Amino acid sequence: MDVREHDAEVQEIYARWLDLGTRAGFAASLVAFLVYVSGAVPPYLPLDALPRYWGLPVGEYLRQTGAPSGWDWLSHLGGGAEYLNLACMALLGVVTMLCYMRIVPVLLRLGERVQAALAIAQIAVLLAAASGFFAGG
Amino acid sequence: MEAAAAHWWIWPLALFAMSFAIGIVAVLGGVGGGVLFVPIVGGFFPFHLDFVRGAGLVFALAGTLAAGPTLLRNRMASLRLVMPLALAGSVASFVGAVVGLSMSTELLQTALGVTVIVIAILIAASKDAFAAGAVESDALGAALRMKGDYEDPAAGARIDWRTHRTIAGFGAFGAIGFLGGLFGLGAGFANVPALNLLMAAPLKVAVGSSGLIISIINSSAAWVYIHRGALLPILAVPAILGVMLGSRIGARLLEVTPAATVRRVVVVVMLLAGTRALLRGLGLWT
Repeated sequence: MDVREHDAEVQEIYARWLDLGTRAGFAASLVAFLVYVSGAVPPYLPLDALPRYWGLPVGEYLRQTGAPSGWDWLSHLGGGAEYLNLACMALLGVVTMLCYMRIVPVLLRLGERVQAALAIAQIAVLLAAASGFFAGG
Repeated sequence: MEAAAAHWWIWPLALFAMSFAIGIVAVLGGVGGGVLFVPIVGGFFPFHLDFVRGAGLVFALAGTLAAGPTLLRNRMASLRLVMPLALAGSVASFVGAVVGLSMSTELLQTALGVTVIVIAILIAASKDAFAAGAVESDALGAALRMKGDYEDPAAGARIDWRTHRTIAGFGAFGAIGFLGGLFGLGAGFANVPALNLLMAAPLKVAVGSSGLIISIINSSAAWVYIHRGALLPILAVPAILGVMLGSRIGARLLEVTPAATVRRVVVVVMLLAGTRALLRGLGLWT
């Protein structure tokens, strides 16, 4: 199998996972947003209070509203509709990582060691970003 | 203040309408939407630039994630080309996002204004695309096997391509990623020239691969904004929905709209929005 055939196989697998992940992320984001603006799940910060805070720098916003940062928003999923939305948008942030994780074994099977190493390095960068450890959140 | 509270929904609705318009114009003008979204929304809406940049990143991320599967399947995007460059870009983008959220608003507005004005001038003065296929791979490009092919219906042939100046490409994508993370831009305006003019990828592959690179680079920077609390769903979701609908309309209008005219409109809008950001940053028009 040559480079052309390797690329066709890897790109198709990446495309399939990207397609599925993105559709799931968009659908979940839309539903979560409707839940948020309809009031079906109460928000952490009432919608009509938002105009008082959305013009503030993020540090000041967090200080005045007591809103969570880092991973603390996970504990508000049940009682803060905006964090349900945040979880859905975070899904969009992990789609690429999942695609890379899926193609690593395929690249190794095809003998594409350099490409596999690049994919593993990219996964490490995305995991480091998602961990929040280096973001200071 | 009471009136603002009662009518809180006007601004997200206006943001949806603006994102819809940006989606149309960005496709017609051949630029990424983020480069219009951040200066326009940052300059003319009441949201703080921290939240606008967070929404801008997700805005660019959503558009490129949605386009990715098609670009990969028709081989307009090449993973082999994208993977090394996106790795450099995503590290730099992460650093850019951390730096951006540590800078003063005034300094950031000023830098954003200058950057957007420079980009507008570069777009206005941009050269014709490079005709690909005539270069030999450099040593690093050959080691990374940065080459590929695609079917070109217009030419009725399969186009084989390879790239060169790989180290310069890494440098370019490091700088582009940093600016993207710093300002919450997708940076497609810079990706395409870097891939086409610098590395000699065919224009179609450069455009397609640029989208995929943005989806990877922005995935890294988006986490910084999430962890710092700078991603407000009330901004991000209307922006995403607006640009997705607008992009679809823009793609349909592409065949019947004079691209050169739209491009000039994009440049003028960018100059206005960039000047607004600059003056705001300098405290001359708050």
